[in-house]
Amino acid sequence: MHKIGYFYTDCLVPMVGNNPYATAEENSTELCINAEVYSLPSKKLVALQLRSIFIKYKSKPFCEKLLSWVKSSNCAKVIVLSSSHSYHRNDLQLRSTPFRYLLTPIVPKSVQNRIQSLNWEEMEKSPCIPEIDDSEFCIRIPGGGITKTLYDEGCSKEIPVVVLLKFVSEGDNIPDALGLVEYLNEWLQIIKPCCDDPTASALQWKMPSSWRLLFGSGLPPALF
Amino acid sequence: MNSGAWEEVGCAKLWNEWCRTTDTTHLSPAKSFCMFYHLKSNPSVVLCQCNCYVAEDQQYQWLEKVFGSCPKKNMQVMILTCRHVTDYKTSESTSSLHSPFLKALKTQNFKEPPCCPLLEQPNIVHDLPAAVLSYCQVWKIPAVLYLCYTDVMKLDLITVEAFRPILSSRSLKGLVKNIPQSTEILKKLMTTNEIQSNIYT
Repeated sequence: MHKIGYFYTDCLVPMVGNNPYATAEENSTELCINAEVYSLPSKKLVALQLRSIFIKYKSKPFCEKLLSWVKSSNCAKVIVLSSSHSYHRNDLQLRSTPFRYLLTPIVPKSVQNRIQSLNWEEMEKSPCIPEIDDSEFCIRIPGGGITKTLYDEGCSKEIPVVVLLKFVSEGDNIPDALGLVEYLNEWLQIIKPCCDDPTASALQWKMPSSWRLLFGSGLPPALF
Repeated sequence: MNSGAWEEVGCAKLWNEWCRTTDTTHLSPAKSFCMFYHLKSNPSVVLCQCNCYVAEDQQYQWLEKVFGSCPKKNMQVMILTCRHVTDYKTSESTSSLHSPFLKALKTQNFKEPPCCPLLEQPNIVHDLPAAVLSYCQVWKIPAVLYLCYTDVMKLDLITVEAFRPILSSRSLKGLVKNIPQSTEILKKLMTTNEIQSNIYT
């Protein structure tokens, strides 16, 4: 995918670094900022990469700006790749696959049918106020950041939003990211699996250099 | 700034919880604000000395106020900042690094070769320097950030000396009188500010 632009906003904490997707000497010195847009014309895919957290009180304005950009760009649908705290799962969820999907009502029937044919699990409703016994049920995505806001705005503004999420724990989320992109690939077929072995196809995904040293620098030998 | 070559042209006042005092009327401006100076002999050279922490929810407005009124044509920006060496990620242990050392990041339109190696991934930059560099990248302004990783918490002469290579860069060569005198210039620019870092992160 090639970088085609930036989503310059006052809603995200600023950060810069060198290109984490560098493949050669020439593109390794490209500066990257906190929100960039990439495209893959062959798959009619545009990706918005967010690299930092939201500034306080700015997550709702960000969702509004994002969805208004989506609407004005005439996108067919928005796919949100997200996660939710695994410790919030109920007993049934603990025993099933960690992947879930959500669709806003306006998502085309063809997409709904395709997803149903994959035998995916839809995100279950849970008590709005867990402590109260007769609380109403609603969609909750604890730990999902702006996911619920995007879903709600998509419902109210009639924007086709597909949420794909995984229940994850804190820590090294690299395997979770690979799992989530494999989940997406099952549907969109961005990379054709080279063979039927699911573990082999995971190796087709390249890891960005920004994922290195997730837990800090090397340890001083004097520590041991 | 006392050498007589620089003239004060403005300041950006702001307050956040990091400011050392709530009394903004009696505080000497240089202590708590961002001061702007221009070179008397060449007024197109503007220096901004940031003596306060610009919080993340103030950075965008700071940029709009500062860059909004500047003509962006033919503008070039150079940012100098410091970080503690423990922020630097490398596969070796940070105790084996020879600090202070300089790293650079530049925007796409900055065509000069930088005076030191570029900052390698997975290292990134935050705060106001990142906000300025992001602004320059998006608006296609040639800009370079020089980041000094140092092992002291208060700026000292050794750390400031680490910036010496940039004095021979194409942009600054014309401004520096001669190299022996440059140490004097660097000493005068030194303030007693602590290097921005949060020991809790």
